[in-house]
Amino acid sequence: MLHRLERLKSWEGLLLFILILVILFNAFSTPHYLTVQNQINLFQLHIEKIIVALIMTFIIINAEIDLSVGSVMGLAGCVMAFMFERDVPFVVCLLAGLLTGIVTGAINGFMVSYVGLSSLIVTLAGLIGYRGVAHVLLENRSVGNYPEWFDRLGQQPLIGPFPLAMIIFFVLLIIALVILQWSGAGRYVFVIGNNREVARYSGVNVRRVKMALFIVSGFIAAFAGLLLAARLGSMRGDTAQGTELEAITMAVLGGVSIFGGTGSLFGVLLSILIILNLRNGMGLLNVTGETQTGVIGALLILSVLGPNMWQGVRDTWNRRRRVHRLHVGEDQKGG
Amino acid sequence: MPSIEDKAPVLQIRHISKRFDTTQALDDVSLDLFPGEIHALMGENGAGKSTLIKIMTGVYHPDEGEMLLDGEPIHVGNSVEAQAYGIAAIYQEPMVYPDLNVAENIFITHRTHGLLVNWRKMYKDAESILAKLDVKLDVRMPARGLTLAAQQTIEIAKAISLNVRVLIMDEPTASLSAHEVEQLFELTRSLRDQGVSVLFISHRMEEVFEIADRVTIFRDGRWISTLPRKEFTRERAIHDMVGRKIEEFFAKSAGERGELLMSVRGLNKENVFADINFDVYRGEVLGFAGLVGSRRTDVGLALFGVEPADSGEIILGKRAEKIRSPEEALGKGIAYMTEDRRQIGLTMTMSLTSNISLPMLRQYLSRFGLVQTQREEATAEQYRERLSIRTPSIQQPVGMLSGGNQQKVMLSKWLNTRPKILILDEPTRGIDVGAKAEVHHIINDLTAQGLGIILISSDMPEIMAMSDRIMVMREGRQMGIFTREEATQEIILTAAMGQNESVEEAA
Amino acid sequence: MMEQLKRYFRPEQLRELSLVFLIVLIFLFFGSQIQGYFSPRIFNRVTSDVAIIAVVAIGETLVLLTRNYDLSVGSIVGITAFTVGKQLTNYPDMIPIVALLLAIGLGVAMGLLNGLVIAYGRVPSLVATLGTMAIYRSALVAYPGNKIVVTNDLPEWVLELGRMQLFTIGEFNIRPVVAGGLVMFIIFQLVIAYLPYGRRLYAIGSNPEAARIGGLPSSQIVLVAYIICGAMAGLAGFMFMVRYGDLTVTGALGMEMQVIAAAVVGGVSTNGGSGTMIGALLGALMINLLQQSLLRWLVISDFWVNALLGLLILIAVTIDAVIINRLRDIWTQRGLEIKSVEEKKVVKERESHVA
Repeated sequence: MLHRLERLKSWEGLLLFILILVILFNAFSTPHYLTVQNQINLFQLHIEKIIVALIMTFIIINAEIDLSVGSVMGLAGCVMAFMFERDVPFVVCLLAGLLTGIVTGAINGFMVSYVGLSSLIVTLAGLIGYRGVAHVLLENRSVGNYPEWFDRLGQQPLIGPFPLAMIIFFVLLIIALVILQWSGAGRYVFVIGNNREVARYSGVNVRRVKMALFIVSGFIAAFAGLLLAARLGSMRGDTAQGTELEAITMAVLGGVSIFGGTGSLFGVLLSILIILNLRNGMGLLNVTGETQTGVIGALLILSVLGPNMWQGVRDTWNRRRRVHRLHVGEDQKGG
Repeated sequence: MPSIEDKAPVLQIRHISKRFDTTQALDDVSLDLFPGEIHALMGENGAGKSTLIKIMTGVYHPDEGEMLLDGEPIHVGNSVEAQAYGIAAIYQEPMVYPDLNVAENIFITHRTHGLLVNWRKMYKDAESILAKLDVKLDVRMPARGLTLAAQQTIEIAKAISLNVRVLIMDEPTASLSAHEVEQLFELTRSLRDQGVSVLFISHRMEEVFEIADRVTIFRDGRWISTLPRKEFTRERAIHDMVGRKIEEFFAKSAGERGELLMSVRGLNKENVFADINFDVYRGEVLGFAGLVGSRRTDVGLALFGVEPADSGEIILGKRAEKIRSPEEALGKGIAYMTEDRRQIGLTMTMSLTSNISLPMLRQYLSRFGLVQTQREEATAEQYRERLSIRTPSIQQPVGMLSGGNQQKVMLSKWLNTRPKILILDEPTRGIDVGAKAEVHHIINDLTAQGLGIILISSDMPEIMAMSDRIMVMREGRQMGIFTREEATQEIILTAAMGQNESVEEAA
Repeated sequence: MMEQLKRYFRPEQLRELSLVFLIVLIFLFFGSQIQGYFSPRIFNRVTSDVAIIAVVAIGETLVLLTRNYDLSVGSIVGITAFTVGKQLTNYPDMIPIVALLLAIGLGVAMGLLNGLVIAYGRVPSLVATLGTMAIYRSALVAYPGNKIVVTNDLPEWVLELGRMQLFTIGEFNIRPVVAGGLVMFIIFQLVIAYLPYGRRLYAIGSNPEAARIGGLPSSQIVLVAYIICGAMAGLAGFMFMVRYGDLTVTGALGMEMQVIAAAVVGGVSTNGGSGTMIGALLGALMINLLQQSLLRWLVISDFWVNALLGLLILIAVTIDAVIINRLRDIWTQRGLEIKSVEEKKVVKERESHVA
């Protein structure tokens, strides 16, 4: 039990070590790596994903999962684009996009909290269904030509060299950190994920917490979808496919247990940095995006497999030691 | 009449010791099990009973000592090997496969002869085993919907199908109703008569008296005594289990009964309990007596809003209230402490502090919703002192504490909600005698401070000593309410077992 | 009579029956709405597509029964289809059986990796197959050279296999791909009903703890399940190649979702321990039939297909959660028959008072 906490700390230590390795490797193999511009690009390319990874962390710690985030991102963008095509005032389009996230989150949350379905299946249905609706709206089209201020916010630096999305990420990161580690809400998230029944019997309104989490997840996903639309300058029916898997990877690699109850945002931040830097380094070495994803997949498996195998080795070693000691003891007894 | 020991023992446990880090779980334990006997094993928690079982079934390996089967030394490496030797165990919680039917549950782990599953033969074989046990079960039914008792029967049938020679039953009656216990005892006797050696572990004196042929007592990992049933007495048992003469129970001091806190009228929950009526007063302990399965916990859960009742009134103060969630119950001053502290009562990996503050977390939040850990810790310290909780620090994960201390942490958690009415469900189950006495002391203090307490307990002597009035339930129905003076063990037991139909409330 | 009925119509079977009923409904409804619905062409389309998904669903069901997931099947189908297609393009003289075995062999290898990581490496299956899904797909996408396979480059027998008529019933012909799917379905339905191995899958999914303690070789059993799942995906890859001819590195992208959806709609529980191949097949049939029908139904655009699929899954699981479980409880209430007269008296007494 104490082991779990210790394990988390040592896991973060390991992540830090790997991060440093990756950064050093990148710094030596490519010339432009340590420039500010490159570092910003490193973030920007995946900024929406890492924003979603933050809320995904909460959801997984709560012993649930949200596979629909990528589709909600796409849907929110498509709702916005759809209305924009029909000359609805742009701000209203944006609000509609955000509302989409809230609605999808509410649907997910309702099915999980009140009907009692497994979040895997509900959000799987959402992944397929919401994406489908996105395609219904935009069919095969690509919609762009957004107001100039929108594109500018998405692509140009806002404060210093940092674009809006990056600033939002760091703000959200800090808020998330505070909420998860120090607030009552965060405590509830952990307890429910650790043992749902204990929470219920202790007077925690489990349903409300889960509902809230899914709504927030939908909202953040929608927000990220709009940021993506701004950054890309256009929107398609299949935008943001695959985001959920990446977000889950970032959380699990960061030490969040897929079973719920443990995890820390510090670890997730480290894992995000590792993944971003790895991708960046690979990209600079002309490794394609798909191959990068494969490497990340391997990293995900190793992040769980490694400790398991290490534990197995230690167990065998301990067992051998105990048997040896037993024999030694017998010898000493003269038996 | 030939005695049991005339035959050769089937299993001999010789000088077995087992150590875990700093605890000596078993210390030079020896025991002989004969075919055709029901051998009870008693002892407090931590006496080493479950360690012995785990060694017999191959989950643990002994540090020293050996086991002999029919005189030959054996090494049980895992549960499969134990099965092969004819050693099987059934536990309080049956391990069945809910989606498989009864017959399959019995035979699924068997080595298969032939390529295909012969369903017809499997059903026939299952039925014949059940017939041998004099039990009727539809072998085609999935195990899921069956009662706990029926599932236990499946496990026993499985053991028989594997030609069990030593059957270990670990607290098998804990969750059974009255007639289910009787059925189980019938089954057990039948097994014994067929030559099986039954090792029956129980906390309950009455059961041991009823079913055992011989009784062995462990204490602190050591064998203390083995006696034939005839020579076994309650005093001897307690003496051996505890090692010192102590007063068994702390009797509650008769207190002042204060105002009426809660009235329950006509509480119903379909298929669970019906027509429950009682009152709870300040400064009083109302005991809920009954055998396991009488649904007392369900009434408690209804009062606490975890499983609300279908109909009936809960009157607090002057108003009839609807309690639909634990949140609401807490708001109305009702708290419920569960009997299952491992799964439901405490979060084992979290600290004392976090566990204690959980129901009242909202009170510990600052303006911005952040947890004020200093105040939390102060609270935890308060309770540590007040209840004498033994722990190296309040940040210790609760899972590392002893059972008795865990119970105290749970108690702190609920006391911290400043309840007017506290429902305690089996508060001294599974803790050692010393801690038990402490809990009784605390209950006494609480009533002196003006709480109303509902004490749910299956421990007849405990409930008789601690309650001012006792409500007896049987299978979801209320059998009567008795005052301290009226209640004798016979009256309570009779009511608990159902011969009494009257529902008179003794005021 | 009620008892007899109860014995033969378990809630799960009721569910499968209602699926059949729904499929017939869908069939009739769209038949009345769409011109030429009952044509051989549509029959071939639907059955071929269903066959491919069903074959993968068979393997996935084996895994789901043990309370695990395999999210990598889509990538496995994609890899095997493309690789075999490429090999045949480059070596058109390859014997057909070898090509088939190559596909299955690749599937087995990938399934083996999954199984080892999950059963022996103790990595949760969701995480593990998320990873291998990415790894396998990236391996495929990284294929050097020309990343497409064109039908015309494939040997003649492949196209023949796609067009051949094995059996003819009236106007409708059964193609090899469909026949293959049916054969696999029959084999594995028998496996889970009559083979000890199949029954153990249920045991492991129903109560993994009991299986472990009871001495079932869980790791081995799960490993084999993943190997078979990979093999089935490989076979499906072969069928995919035969059916479509033109292949890209994004082939079968997202198929795992469809397959899981088919299983879930068909009544396979994501918690393990229950479900049948019949259900999975019916689920695949219903989903695909709906998809194909909606595609041809001019009233709504074909883009609605996925949206409705999501809704369908949700409805299926909600019904399961709300209705089927209720049915199950009612159905199993009287498992233990009371023996003695005295107890019968007690029960009667109880029944007359409570509720």
